[in-house]
Amino acid sequence: MADLIQILVLGLALGGVYALMGAGLSLVFGVMRIVNLAHPSLIMLGAYVAYWAFRLGGIDPMIILPVALVILAATGVLLYKLVFEREARSAQYSEMTVLLTFALAMVVEGALGTAFTNTQRVTSPDYATDAFFISSVFIPKGQLYAGIVSLSIISALALFLKYSAFGNAIRATTQNRDAAELLGVNVNFVGLVSFAIGIGLAGAAGALVSFVFSFFPAKHWEWIAVLMSLVVLGGMGSILGTVLAAFILSVVAAFVGFFFGATWSTLTFFVALFVVLLVRPQGLFGEKPELA
Amino acid sequence: MKLSKLLASSAIASLVASAAMAEIKIGTSLPLTGAFSIAGAKHEQGYKLCVDMINERGGISGEQVELIMSDNRSDPATAIAQYERFINVDGVDAVFGTFSSRLTFPVANILAKNGFVHPIPAGGALRIYTQGHKNLFYFQPNAAEYVGSSLQGLIADLVDVADRPTTAAVVSADDFFANAVETGFLGKKVMDPATGGEVADLAPGYLADAGIEVVYEEKWPEEGFNDWLNLANSIKRSEAELIVALTASAEEAVQLTRALKTVRAEPKMVYYSQGTQVEFYEGTEEASEAILMHTSWHPDAPYEGLLGGEAFSNADFVAEFTERNGVAPDEDAAIPFAVCQGIEQSIIGAGEADNDKMSEWLVARTADDPVRTVLGAFHWDEVGLPVGKPFMVAQWNGGELQFVYPTDEFETSPLTHPKQGW
Repeated sequence: MADLIQILVLGLALGGVYALMGAGLSLVFGVMRIVNLAHPSLIMLGAYVAYWAFRLGGIDPMIILPVALVILAATGVLLYKLVFEREARSAQYSEMTVLLTFALAMVVEGALGTAFTNTQRVTSPDYATDAFFISSVFIPKGQLYAGIVSLSIISALALFLKYSAFGNAIRATTQNRDAAELLGVNVNFVGLVSFAIGIGLAGAAGALVSFVFSFFPAKHWEWIAVLMSLVVLGGMGSILGTVLAAFILSVVAAFVGFFFGATWSTLTFFVALFVVLLVRPQGLFGEKPELA
Repeated sequence: MKLSKLLASSAIASLVASAAMAEIKIGTSLPLTGAFSIAGAKHEQGYKLCVDMINERGGISGEQVELIMSDNRSDPATAIAQYERFINVDGVDAVFGTFSSRLTFPVANILAKNGFVHPIPAGGALRIYTQGHKNLFYFQPNAAEYVGSSLQGLIADLVDVADRPTTAAVVSADDFFANAVETGFLGKKVMDPATGGEVADLAPGYLADAGIEVVYEEKWPEEGFNDWLNLANSIKRSEAELIVALTASAEEAVQLTRALKTVRAEPKMVYYSQGTQVEFYEGTEEASEAILMHTSWHPDAPYEGLLGGEAFSNADFVAEFTERNGVAPDEDAAIPFAVCQGIEQSIIGAGEADNDKMSEWLVARTADDPVRTVLGAFHWDEVGLPVGKPFMVAQWNGGELQFVYPTDEFETSPLTHPKQGW
């Protein structure tokens, strides 16, 4: 029984980190219909902000997290203005953004490699390799803290979306962009801010990733399939769905790894992606696509 | 000056100029991005330093060397395409090998088909050398399948019987190189992927030979694996006294070490296939204490090599590399440097950059007349594996990678055993 509890704990701990990594991706798709393949590469950028703050100033990654969030949000504003805004009205916008963000991911990777080399990095605050032991079950402090911070940020975002006027505008734009515009919502500005928030979340996730996993510029390619499976299972654009999917898939993957081997645990995410697309393409909380 | 003299002097001047500008083109495809980018970037440093120093010393037999380098993104298909381009479009005279068994295996066919000498910096899987190619020259001690012999020897020679591990957990990346090392440890058969035939039967394996029972085995996928804590917990639960972790990269070694520390695993001995890099220590710090790993090179090894036809020792290499790059080298930079030394010596020995003649010259090397590099002396058997070169075993102690085995090569540091926590 202790084994099963341990696997559950490890799955939940990993899910907390994945949740924040996927939340920004989901928000950006929900509001802007941008399939942001560059999202993991921007998480890497956030991780580098945390790494250098820790390396040069000894600043804890969770302390520097707001700074990483703001830096990446500002980067998001810049990217939106330079890359995405001009094509926002295109009928093939989502399709175009797949190619655009693929190219952007390669540019970000190249820039990070040039600036910081391809050497692996990881921050090492004491808690990153420590654990609470309750009888024979351990709870890794690093992932626990990262999960708590992650869920706090997502909760704050959810409250903002639900109770603020601007949050209502974002949700209205997510549900029906044209109708929101007819009702007076400045959808371009909503898009800009949403994109900035989404990329800012990538920065925050990067700060947490910096002590949970080691990273290097090309690492983002390993993340994109995992994050896409979370967003697809949760329902493209649903942050709540993404969070739930993160926990569900992480726990399932942990049990699969325990019972069937480590190779199969990674496959869990890919299998989930295929099954969801075949059986319930709208995911847990997404809208059913309308037939043309 | 008469017109005829002017023309004659102009002709001589242009001949001299063209002779000075004559170049030997060498191509190499490296994984500068992607999964192998950390080692790939260091290979780039090693190759560049060697070529720069050759050119500063007047080139190879007076000809400057141009290094054409491309990033293969750790992708075998891209590596193949790039070597084909070097040969058919760029018209290179010679090539340096790429990094990793995964990339070397397919590249070997292209270079063999085109008759190019294939000096291999990192491609230790035995299967590479059993394809019938006659142009392979490996610049590390031996095939990956035989790495385990060094650990078996270390346990037999340096560890008291009462302190020897009796059980082992063997965990491995599902990677060309890591699988090859695992095959030797566990005594499996090496199969030819093309014919399905048996290349070698390594039973009972180095662990069985050492009287160690394997109580846990696990393999993780080549890419995308993140559940290190779960894996570390399973290793801990096995209560293995020896952990043999065969990672495909130093990055994986960092992740696993941090996870083992987190779960507070308590092995007597830990052995890795990767982790000699300074980045491994940076990512693991005191958790690296007493971890053993095989290595092909050590900064203190008193090897005497050649560069530009002159003596160039391993110590010279360490000093030059450190001065030019601001950091000390590790084996991922030293090995490609040795490859470059080998190609330089083969061109000088052959009298020209002709691959047939270079190959003949390399094949003719012996223990008394070897290729001399910062990795020591090399001569090869009929399949291209070095003869008479044991793997070295190093151990992290106090933040320093110390050379601990074998003890009869040169001065060693004392072995720390058993491992005391993380």
